[in-house]
Amino acid sequence: MKIVEIFQNYNTRLRVVTYLLLVILMVLTSGLIYRQLIKFSEYSERGDRQTLRRIIIPGPRGNIYDRDGRLLVGNRVRYSAVVFLNELRPDFRKEFRLLRDHYNSLPQDQSPGNGDIQIEARLNVVERYIDQVGQVIGRNLEINSKDIERHFGQQLLLPFPLINDMEPEEYALLLEQIPVQSPIQIYTTNARYYPYGTLAAHTIGYVGNTQEVDTTNMPGDDLMTFKARGYEGKTGLEKRFDSQLKGESGVEIWVVDPSGFQFEPKDKKSPVQGKDLRITLDSELQDIAEMGLGDRVGAVVALDTKRGDLLVMVSKPDYDLNDLSPFIPTRIAKDINDRGAWMNRALQGLYSPGSTFKVITAMAGLRGGFINGTSETYCSGSFNIGSSLYRCWNPIGHGDVNLHEAIRMSCNVFFYKFSQDIGVDLISAEAKRFHLHEPTGIELPFEATKMIVPSREWKKENRNQSWFPGNTAHLAIGQGFLRVTPLQMACFTAAFSRKETQFKPTVVFDPYRQTVTSRRDIGLPDGDYQRILDGMEAAATDGTAKMIKVPGVRIAAKTGTAQVQTPEGMTQLAWAICFAPIEDPEIAIAVLVQGQRPDDALGGGTTSVPIAQPVLQRFFEKMGHVAAR
Amino acid sequence: MPKERNQKFKPLILLGSVLLIWIIVPPFFKKFTENFFYEFQAPAWIVGSFVRDVQKFWTGRLESKRDLIEEGRDLARLNATLQYQVQELEAYKAQIDRLEALFNLPSLPTYQVEIGRIARRDTNGWWQEIVVRKGKNFGIPEGAPVVFGGGVVGKVREVKQTTTIIDLITSPNIRLAAVFEGDKRPVLYQGTISGPFVSPKGNVEKVPTDIQISRDHPRRLVTSGLGGVFPPGLTIGWVRRLDASSDGLFQSGVVELSNDLNALREVAILKSLESDG
Repeated sequence: MKIVEIFQNYNTRLRVVTYLLLVILMVLTSGLIYRQLIKFSEYSERGDRQTLRRIIIPGPRGNIYDRDGRLLVGNRVRYSAVVFLNELRPDFRKEFRLLRDHYNSLPQDQSPGNGDIQIEARLNVVERYIDQVGQVIGRNLEINSKDIERHFGQQLLLPFPLINDMEPEEYALLLEQIPVQSPIQIYTTNARYYPYGTLAAHTIGYVGNTQEVDTTNMPGDDLMTFKARGYEGKTGLEKRFDSQLKGESGVEIWVVDPSGFQFEPKDKKSPVQGKDLRITLDSELQDIAEMGLGDRVGAVVALDTKRGDLLVMVSKPDYDLNDLSPFIPTRIAKDINDRGAWMNRALQGLYSPGSTFKVITAMAGLRGGFINGTSETYCSGSFNIGSSLYRCWNPIGHGDVNLHEAIRMSCNVFFYKFSQDIGVDLISAEAKRFHLHEPTGIELPFEATKMIVPSREWKKENRNQSWFPGNTAHLAIGQGFLRVTPLQMACFTAAFSRKETQFKPTVVFDPYRQTVTSRRDIGLPDGDYQRILDGMEAAATDGTAKMIKVPGVRIAAKTGTAQVQTPEGMTQLAWAICFAPIEDPEIAIAVLVQGQRPDDALGGGTTSVPIAQPVLQRFFEKMGHVAAR
Repeated sequence: MPKERNQKFKPLILLGSVLLIWIIVPPFFKKFTENFFYEFQAPAWIVGSFVRDVQKFWTGRLESKRDLIEEGRDLARLNATLQYQVQELEAYKAQIDRLEALFNLPSLPTYQVEIGRIARRDTNGWWQEIVVRKGKNFGIPEGAPVVFGGGVVGKVREVKQTTTIIDLITSPNIRLAAVFEGDKRPVLYQGTISGPFVSPKGNVEKVPTDIQISRDHPRRLVTSGLGGVFPPGLTIGWVRRLDASSDGLFQSGVVELSNDLNALREVAILKSLESDG
């Protein structure tokens, strides 16, 4: 009551001022309520965005093992010495003051701006630490001011590397000789590691750096994010199974100060390694095949005919995968480029299959009724079609030749002659029946798609020309326009061995996988199939492929030689295909060797067969069919 | 009244003034004061240590003659065994010298051993250190490795005039490049704070994933000799279990150190002869 009375006794002006103050107080209070209660969550979120930073750390990739559990690809540790620039901030400030004092003593026109002094200060400080590291490990290390500034501007929260890829001895020296409290930290990251170096380089493939990291279901999606570099598959299995091999990224959320320096950790989730992959390759057979091919250019493919497993895939020239990890140096890239070694010839190389194709021509002839058990011709060393002369590889001729002998001795004239009766349509259809016109569908990227099984329509469409009888003669012996990959020829051999027309190879190992079938029967009468088989067995016994012999194993083989136009001139391709054992086939192999110069004398029987033989030999030794040598 | 009130605040004002002066005095003065204070304290620790030695001596004097004879006999046996081992070591040394000469290898680092008695021991949640009764007066260098019969003790952190402060292997400030016996790859050992009445422990990290260890088959962790501080082959401790990290790159585990670390009376400080010139 008393207060009211006092208030009523105020004069008017005082009352006005009081009301005014009350209004102002109300406005302030309502503003406070609005900001503290209503807008609290929005401001809080905005504050978090300004003060929290997220660092994404990619998880290591999974390992790759061969069918016997040998490690083909793993992760090696990379030892680095790093500094976190935020820990050097007091040093930066001190150095800046020293430099500024120094420049202030110089004439005005010689004194750089504050920005330049800051850059110089940072360089000086980091140089001191890098010198310390260099002194301990006995190396002369250098640093670039631009690298520091780039890191400072873009990756402040990530460690700045003073030296990468240290040797274990250097790592040990730093561990003991750099004080624990030093801003220099011994850091470990990972890089892909290939225990066998060049082994199956193209099939395995390599990885490259990426900052594209899957951040789904990670906390702090709306925060400013720094991503450490991870790896992604670029070729081969690394690319095809990238999602499986890729590790699960870890995350660290840091509270930062207004300058963006780390202040304290808020949340952390460790990265998790990717899933392992077990593949069908047999590294022992692969090694034998690679040694067999040596420094020559070519490819070898071996398949498990029962389960569809890819046992061997060689492409030469190749490269050491360790040279491409953790990154591809320009010098290495140029060298691989110059040698033409990037290409996986087994999968991407398109070649004329040469006389190995005669098996298909023979099937087309038998299926069409143009060849039978009594079909015979005389080989004088050449054959006339129209006014053109087509030569056999044997200039003196093979004499009287039937189908068996034509396959055994790989006589061209026999196939020239009967190809004119069979015709391009049947031969082309036979090749397509065995899916030589399309990719095999193996789980490897970049398989060639532009293979050619020529036909009248193809020639008209692509060359705008009619089909000539001479084209059929060339096609019958696997030359001319025909182009296939070594993998396709291996698949064809495996399919033929199983009396089927399609073979689906796989590279994913499944220990429980049983015999698989395409259910596409070859559709040849047993007698006809047997005639071809006998010819191939004879080739492997005392014919063109006689060097394939593995004691105690019945082998069917066919050799081939083709010519290919290269910038150096006309060079040769030497082929061999084989499968064994004939009575219950388990392995099929295709070998291609490509001549590099016109004077390279190659032959399917003398060049390619000796590469396939030790692979077969070891395969059957491992299977216990033959005694180990 | 106001005067009395001022009197009450006088100690606080004095304390504040001292702190203020301490904050503004130059760093070299602070360092000097710290060292002065330490050197002032050190004789007291040394005297205390000598008193304990005298105490032990007189405790020994009270032992019965029979006990002393038995101890003497045991020592004589031990001495004979050690004599034999010394001869073996001499033979090994000669063999190493011969191989070094044959293959033109650099000589292994050699050390001069300085035995020091422990004057003080600080093993608590803050420090893991011991103080030895020898210092600059015996030419002990900073950073020198310190060992005992059971392996590594630690590393010299600071050398005073008559004392040396040694960081124990249980100190988080100690980091070593270690190896598992029979393996060549360096792993990281780092101390962890161990209290006075618990078994001393450390951590081993960055262990390759193919190293297998089980409780039934523990493995000895030894110095690698690669770090340039400790000679190779000194026992650090035993590891009975390793846990894989989630990133699949490494394993880590706990290293059980020798219990004798808590009861050391003497340690050997290794002075590198190479650094002496």
